[in-house]
Amino acid sequence: MAMIRNKARHRLVAVSLILPFVAIFALVFAYPVVEVVRMSFTNAPLIGGGEWIGLDNYIRLFSDKLFYTSVVNNGYFVLLTVIPTTVIALGIALAVNRLSGRMQALVLVMFFTPYVLPVSVVTQIWAWMLDFQFGILQPVIEFFTGKSVPVFKNPNWVMPTVATVTIWWTNGFNVLLFLAGLRNIPTELYEAAALDGATRRQLFWRITWPLLWPVTALVLTLQLILQLKIFDQIYLLSEGGPFNSSYVLLLMVYREAFQLNHGGYAAAISLVLFLLIVVISVLQFQILRIGGKGK
Amino acid sequence: MKIKTFVTASAVAAVLGAMSPAWAQQTVTWWDFFVGGDGVRMKALIDEFNAEHPDIEVKATSLEWGVPFYSKVRTSAAVGQGPDVMTYHLSRMPLGLSEGVLSPITEDDLQAAGLSEGDFFETALDAARDPSGQLHAVPFDIHSIVLYYNKSFLEGSRFLDEEGNLTGIESVADFEEAMQVAAENGSETPLTYATGDDGGAYRVFYTLLAQQGGTLISEDGEVLPGDSTDKAVKAVEIMTKWHEEGWQPEQALYEASVALFTSGKSAFQLNGVWEVPTMKDLEEGGKLGFEWGAVEVPKLMDSQTTWADSHAFAIPHQGDKEMSPEKREAVMTVIGWMEKHAISWAGAGHIPAYKPVAESEEFTTMQPNATYATLADRATYDPRSEVAGVASPAYDAAENIISPAMHGYMSPEEAVEQVKSELQSRMN
Repeated sequence: MAMIRNKARHRLVAVSLILPFVAIFALVFAYPVVEVVRMSFTNAPLIGGGEWIGLDNYIRLFSDKLFYTSVVNNGYFVLLTVIPTTVIALGIALAVNRLSGRMQALVLVMFFTPYVLPVSVVTQIWAWMLDFQFGILQPVIEFFTGKSVPVFKNPNWVMPTVATVTIWWTNGFNVLLFLAGLRNIPTELYEAAALDGATRRQLFWRITWPLLWPVTALVLTLQLILQLKIFDQIYLLSEGGPFNSSYVLLLMVYREAFQLNHGGYAAAISLVLFLLIVVISVLQFQILRIGGKGK
Repeated sequence: MKIKTFVTASAVAAVLGAMSPAWAQQTVTWWDFFVGGDGVRMKALIDEFNAEHPDIEVKATSLEWGVPFYSKVRTSAAVGQGPDVMTYHLSRMPLGLSEGVLSPITEDDLQAAGLSEGDFFETALDAARDPSGQLHAVPFDIHSIVLYYNKSFLEGSRFLDEEGNLTGIESVADFEEAMQVAAENGSETPLTYATGDDGGAYRVFYTLLAQQGGTLISEDGEVLPGDSTDKAVKAVEIMTKWHEEGWQPEQALYEASVALFTSGKSAFQLNGVWEVPTMKDLEEGGKLGFEWGAVEVPKLMDSQTTWADSHAFAIPHQGDKEMSPEKREAVMTVIGWMEKHAISWAGAGHIPAYKPVAESEEFTTMQPNATYATLADRATYDPRSEVAGVASPAYDAAENIISPAMHGYMSPEEAVEQVKSELQSRMN
């Protein structure tokens, strides 16, 4: 009897501990997701219900030229940011790791500061620095290209520039992750390897790189998810232009929902983006894990 | 004892509260999007109204212009958390109607405000109606782009008359000659407008299109129907030429485009009447350094017309609730008062939509408004479409396609084709 009552009590405690999380999760994630799925099959406006129109939104989406432009641009942006930001962060982390004490802290703060800034401040700073008429970086651009470039108004420059701004802004966090990873590698390994006469290069490729791989995989995956959701910088810096060369999926969601009052269609786009992120990130993580095991 | 006093006091307060509608103060929540020089003038008007009306208190908030404003209005009106009265661009009327945010302005409402339909310019009034003719807003002003000019660059040329006013521009060729003259007289960029921004590019493009009799979006929803496509190409070609000749600034954002004129580098500026206060304030402060004027955009093509829009007052729906008749009367009182005091608003460059003010002596002698006030009757409003008007896909297309095209990234034909397909695809 006592056993059973005990079990029941255990269950009660367990449920009461899990319940708050489940409730919040259901309210702010599960319910909205279900609603988005439902809405994507209706012609609902931004607010209020709509009529069931079946797959119309999806049919329209897959025949919308802007959708493909956005997908390509999203992919291009991921290419421009994910691997470069990881490589740069690793490089910085390795360099910072060689420093010690106050100096290390100071350098770390310098790299981390941009990450603290809100996106509106970041984009404003860069918009001013790169302003076509008055930007202080225009002479630099002029030095390399021979003339000033309106970076956010030039179809070739806009995505790389937004990518540069993004990397500058978010890199500090990745540096921290790598640094934590580096500190987790036992120094004995390096000492033993050094005794065996390993070179710097060997130390890196045989010890640091494989042991750091889990962190690298994590950074790559986090970055992939984050960069697929690009919106703020594009909205604030280029608004998708010129001629849609920086149009991305979330901007399309925003425009459809808030500017044109097409809630149902926007729901369909966001659901497609959601699935894209899930599939790509799961796929990437699996590949990276296999890659990690092979080492 | 204390508790008893408290209860009595509360009871008295409750009774007074219940009685109060007869003489209580009405609070009118007001949202607008004026944050520049016109915002200052609007705030002054509201303060004056509040001082004059002890029984009505207007509580005003200024919000961010554009898509944020219109989506906030949309969401708040749906749940009954919107303002009691708000400013609204009449070019956004089709969107407002499709969203069902705007409550109809009835005959009784107008009467409560002491207004009648005959008091308003027909162009503005039409833009405030739904297809059945029902009003959904009360027009407050008509604003458009005008041609600002700097006299110092034109001195001694045929483009200034004896009184020193702009004259002799009757075609694109004349205008280009005038720009050439200005360039020879040392004007760095003879013509300035926001060539890299949505509004600047759109308004100039639309004016050039309208002057040729072109239609951006027809009533049955066709983008650039018939020969309007060729006319649109022509408009982009003209703007492209101005760029190629170095007459207009490259990729200028709004602020930069204004700065070029106010700092005396440009002989002409194509910009909204809302920059009139900027010019006046600089002149009064002795910081301008040149004599300026502003005229209606000249007849550059086949007919004289200009892009225009109106600010208007609208009352959003209150969710499931109904606005009390007392509140509605107070709101209409505010609107009526504002219309009758629109002369202060004209100080921000606008033309009052309310004729008694627009025809008053005070306005007909107000400079430079009186010079360009004639445009009120022959202005061309944005097409009536959910994808046109301020902060709409049509504006986006100007920044996204027309602006890069005139900077040489795309041919005018291609650009117009893309504008067409873009707007058409957004319309479904």
